[in-house]
Amino acid sequence: MTPIIFGLLVEAALHTVVISGVSIVIGFLIGMCVSAARLSSNRAFAIPARVFVSFFRGVPLLVQLLLIYNLLPVIGINVPSVVAAVVGLSLCTAAYQAENLRGGFASVPRGLLEAADMAGLTHFQQLVRIRVPIAFRLTLPSLVNEAILILKASSLVSVVGVIELTRMAQNLDTSLYEPLQLYSAAGLLYFIINRALALAGTAAERRWNWGRA
Amino acid sequence: MSEPAIVVRRLTKRFGDTDVLHEIDLEVAEGQATCVIGPSGSGKSTLLRCLAFLEEADAGTIEVHGEPLGFVEDAAGRRARLPPQRIRAVRKQIGMVFQQFNLWPHMTALGNVSEALKTVRHLPRAEAEARATAQLRKIGLENRAGHYPAQLSGGQQQRVAIARALALEPKIMLFDEATASLDPELTGEVLNVMRALAADGMTMVIVTHEIGFAASIGRKIAFLDKGRVLLAGAPQDVFRKPRHPRIDQFLDTYLDRGAAMLI
Amino acid sequence: MELGARVRFDYALVASKLPEIFQALGITLYTWILGLAGACALGFLVAVARRYGPRPLDLALGAYVELFRGTPFLIQLFLLYFGGPYAGLSLDAIPAGLLGLSVYGAAYFSEIFRGGFEAVPRGHVEAGECVGLSRAQIIGRILLPEMTMLVLPASVNMAIILMKETAVLSVVTVPELTLTISAIGTEFYAFVECLFLLALFYWGLTEICGWLGRMGEARLARFRFAAA
Repeated sequence: MTPIIFGLLVEAALHTVVISGVSIVIGFLIGMCVSAARLSSNRAFAIPARVFVSFFRGVPLLVQLLLIYNLLPVIGINVPSVVAAVVGLSLCTAAYQAENLRGGFASVPRGLLEAADMAGLTHFQQLVRIRVPIAFRLTLPSLVNEAILILKASSLVSVVGVIELTRMAQNLDTSLYEPLQLYSAAGLLYFIINRALALAGTAAERRWNWGRA
Repeated sequence: MSEPAIVVRRLTKRFGDTDVLHEIDLEVAEGQATCVIGPSGSGKSTLLRCLAFLEEADAGTIEVHGEPLGFVEDAAGRRARLPPQRIRAVRKQIGMVFQQFNLWPHMTALGNVSEALKTVRHLPRAEAEARATAQLRKIGLENRAGHYPAQLSGGQQQRVAIARALALEPKIMLFDEATASLDPELTGEVLNVMRALAADGMTMVIVTHEIGFAASIGRKIAFLDKGRVLLAGAPQDVFRKPRHPRIDQFLDTYLDRGAAMLI
Repeated sequence: MELGARVRFDYALVASKLPEIFQALGITLYTWILGLAGACALGFLVAVARRYGPRPLDLALGAYVELFRGTPFLIQLFLLYFGGPYAGLSLDAIPAGLLGLSVYGAAYFSEIFRGGFEAVPRGHVEAGECVGLSRAQIIGRILLPEMTMLVLPASVNMAIILMKETAVLSVVTVPELTLTISAIGTEFYAFVECLFLLALFYWGLTEICGWLGRMGEARLARFRFAAA
């Protein structure tokens, strides 16, 4: 494999990182809303949130991507395939992240909020100053895990024609006939990015350890 | 004698079908320590949590310095909940110390003590931290200001929690089993801080298992059993022989925890 | 544009496709169950080999586990299906899919089993050694039964993940549900509707799977004390 070919794969890997990164962030924001709805005592919020989580966790991502990619034009939204891919990845990761966040919020000890209550913090201040920082810290390991999963899952957006690492390897293979080298190189790039993500996650966990050993 | 700091009348709290508190009457005198003792499940913590308005009672009233806390009742027993700002105004006078410390783990000792000064009192950061530092100095933990709760011993954590409550200058301090989750060798430092507060004339309600401590610090002891005040009065009256059989039975269980000195 | 207006199901045509759909369902279930069994068995062997085998074997298998957990299933599948012939391994779509699923799933299962082995208290094994059980007997009579309960929730979860991964096999032309129904959708100009039904179908399948798993856990919960 020539350096030029490898350079093309690295460039495509950057697309993979951007697509996954954007999806993770959007998915986190949607996941926040869904977990809030899920924890709501109002059933009009809680039940749709449950259905959302169950559906996007229960259906293969490939089917979701194909569905969204083909559904958007039908309902009159014409966007590039990369947008459809990001929408699909975001919705899927949102469902998983919502469950993680729900667990994180449920694990914030009640007493910490009672102490805040006694100190006179309003409900909103309690949310911003106590609940969110602690829940976020508690879910940090699963957030990193989710980022790694989405990075791997993003290879499926190649199926709807988005040019990222997997699709680039496929395209190059059709003219070069070097599947072993190309797919190994692509796999290695995925592996390196995942390793870097895992290391960054560990570093972040150590950085925000709040004095724990 | 001056007007009592807290007056509890016919306070009842139910969880399901059981009365955890049954028509409790209690007066807490201004500038004194009142200790609430009793077996596990007698309702002492629930009573304290009602005084903090962390639990809402089902019947009866609480008055703090003459102001109703949470609910008012008319002569016919009809209850009305007061608007939130009136509840907040009364609760501002009350500080609470928990069995589990409940320090916020993501803030340093200084951060814990200065948090409400910044977010609730809206003091400038520098002033809030100066006040918090002064408060930490009082409990002898000024040199631990930058430590996170996880880096402090249990006794130190509880002292920071006391400083956190005192920083807001409450008129009344509530202590819910403040030493119950500490190793025996660490209870002393916390009890000493509480003793110093009592000597300063702080109005305190102390729920505790440390009978010896209660007898020595409490100007009044209330003995709770099955959600009722079985006996209330000066320590010498409550513990004088012949004692109520329930108190005798209770003391037998706790003899090894410093009650021997009373007998 | 009205979504409903675009639904043009011709039920006679759909009926004519039913045998094809049932066959595709059969292939989905077949690849899933065989792939799951393969992944489970292989993962177990890897976990045992890493625990009891020589150190170089442990390192080599550790590298395999990390590589296969760190790369997308689709890449692994491409490597096997398109790259395989260049390395002297020519497989048809279905065998390639089965092998791919097994090797991919085994990396995860080996970690689940490893965690299970480690979660069994040492004292239980030592007690077995003290009464003279052989290593095989200790594995078969002590570790395995205790582990089963410990690894069940994670295994059910993994089984559901593998079920969803079978859809990826459509990309290498395994004629399973996703491929077949997409093809029917294209043929009838009812792609979205068909995909929606497909999604509902998978959703039902994973829900049933999760429900069965929870039932199994509840049944085994009464043995929990043994693992405590």
